[in-house]
Amino acid sequence: MHTTRRQLLSFAGAALAALAAGPAGLLPVRVARGANETQLAIALFTKGALPLEGGVLIEAPEIADNGGAVPVRVSADGARRIALFADGNPSPGVAVFSFGKWVKPAASTRIRLAGSQKLIAVAEMADGTFRATSRSIKVTAGGC
Amino acid sequence: MQKPRPRVKLPKSVSKGVPFTVRTRITHPMHTGLRLGRDGKRIARRIINRFVVRYNGEEAISVDLERAVSADPYFSFEMAVQESGDIEFEWVDDDGSVHRLGRRVEVKS
Repeated sequence: MHTTRRQLLSFAGAALAALAAGPAGLLPVRVARGANETQLAIALFTKGALPLEGGVLIEAPEIADNGGAVPVRVSADGARRIALFADGNPSPGVAVFSFGKWVKPAASTRIRLAGSQKLIAVAEMADGTFRATSRSIKVTAGGC
Repeated sequence: MQKPRPRVKLPKSVSKGVPFTVRTRITHPMHTGLRLGRDGKRIARRIINRFVVRYNGEEAISVDLERAVSADPYFSFEMAVQESGDIEFEWVDDDGSVHRLGRRVEVKS
């Protein structure tokens, strides 16, 4: 039922290759070349589209004492989904939130961070476009 | 492992269209599959991989979780409803089991 990291990566690679071979401009060059795992995970979420900067908010402490449970809130007005990624974790995916009609597109949770790193939130808006933001967090004791 | 115990906190009665906060938590180790146990062997991955909330049968919010979500996964969100209804919470475990909890929300007129 669960995809392994290897499967995910090979799928991401294949998807990116397919996208790169498709209509020009569909895939940003900086994702295609020398992409790291986080960029691949984001490209999988956006199906290759390049998210616009802004319109998404990550609320989290600047310095987290316990990397095992860092409180984080993501929000984006007009979003139908928000994906959260941790760039410095063993695997970048954290959670994908999908919002129905009764729920405000915002949610709070607690996450594990292996060390000081960058969090990235990507929102899929109601019109199908993507927005993104990032935020750096210092972690004094890692939690993975 | 102890049986995961779900808990939710939300008002019993709400005003029509006025947002209220829902807090949820389930006791669960969220084993990442990366850690070694005392015997030096890897502890198999076992996490809650999906969380769904439905209102009167329709999906209100769902979350696909990865192993970076902390042990005892906690979520809170805000919702607003127009009519009274049943709210159902569902946590899907890697081992195939599904942990459920339900509440009634009354809309004051």
